[in-house]
Amino acid sequence: MNEQLVLLLEIQDLTSKTREIESGELGELEQSHFGMDPDAAATTLREKAAELIADLKPNIRARFQAISDRVDRPVVPVIGGTCFGCYVSIPAATAGEQDPNAEVQSCETCGRFIYILS
Amino acid sequence: MRLRELFTVDAVKLQLQSETKDDLLKELISLLGLDEKSEAILFKTVKRRENLGSTGIGKGIAIPHCRSLVANRLRLAYGRKPDGIDFNAIDGAPVYNFFLIVAPPLEVSNQYLPVLGKIAQFAKDPEVPDLLLGLEDPQEFLDLLDEKSR
Repeated sequence: MNEQLVLLLEIQDLTSKTREIESGELGELEQSHFGMDPDAAATTLREKAAELIADLKPNIRARFQAISDRVDRPVVPVIGGTCFGCYVSIPAATAGEQDPNAEVQSCETCGRFIYILS
Repeated sequence: MRLRELFTVDAVKLQLQSETKDDLLKELISLLGLDEKSEAILFKTVKRRENLGSTGIGKGIAIPHCRSLVANRLRLAYGRKPDGIDFNAIDGAPVYNFFLIVAPPLEVSNQYLPVLGKIAQFAKDPEVPDLLLGLEDPQEFLDLLDEKSR
C-alpha cells in the first residue's frame, strides 16, 4: 500500500477516535472501565494527527484538508467496485491490479481518497 | 448478542508465552489469524490505544481494544498468561487474562461499544478472575462466557 495512503488512513483513524471519545458513549466507557481522561486523550490524539498531517506531501495535505472540511471520512474503501463515500460505481481500471493501492487515488465523483478492498 | 457467539476456540489461548507487553499484544493479535501486514497494522493501532492509558482494568484483567480497517467484522480473542505480566494495569498488579477486541472502522451492526461494555462487565464479576485461572481448555472458556454473560 502506498505510504501516503497509509498515513491518510492513520490520520483518519486518529480523527475518528478523537471524535468517538469526545462524543459520548466510548468516552464514558473509557472513563468508567479504564480510568481514561477523555479530554487528555483527545488532546493527545489531536497532537498525533497533526504530526502525521505534517508528514503528508503538500499536494495531498491540501486535498486532505479540503475534503476534511466537508466530510467526516475523507478516506473510504472501494468494495465491489463501489465507493463507500458516495456509493457510486468506480471504473474497473482502479481494481484488479497487483497492488491496487500502490498509488493514492480519489473517487472521481465525490473526491474522497479511496483504497481498494478486494 | 451473546459474547459466546463472538469467540471461536481458535482465538483462545490459555498458555501465552510472551514476557513483555509488546510481545504479548502481538501474540494476542496472532490469534485472529490475520496476514503479517495486517498484524503489523493492528499492533500499531492497539499500541496507540495503550499509549493513551493501559487497558489493564485491575484484578489481573486487561482488555486491549481498538477499531482497525484490518477487521471486516468484530473480532475477539482471549489469552491467558498463567504467571502474569506487568501491563501497567490500573491497580499496578500483574495481568493474567487478556481480552482483545477489534472492530472495523464502520459497523453496520454497531456491536463494538456494547461488546466492550459487556466484556468489561464480565471481567468485573468478582468470581471471574479465579474461574479464568482455573480453565483447562478453550471450550471451558466459552462455557464460562455462556454462564456468566447471559
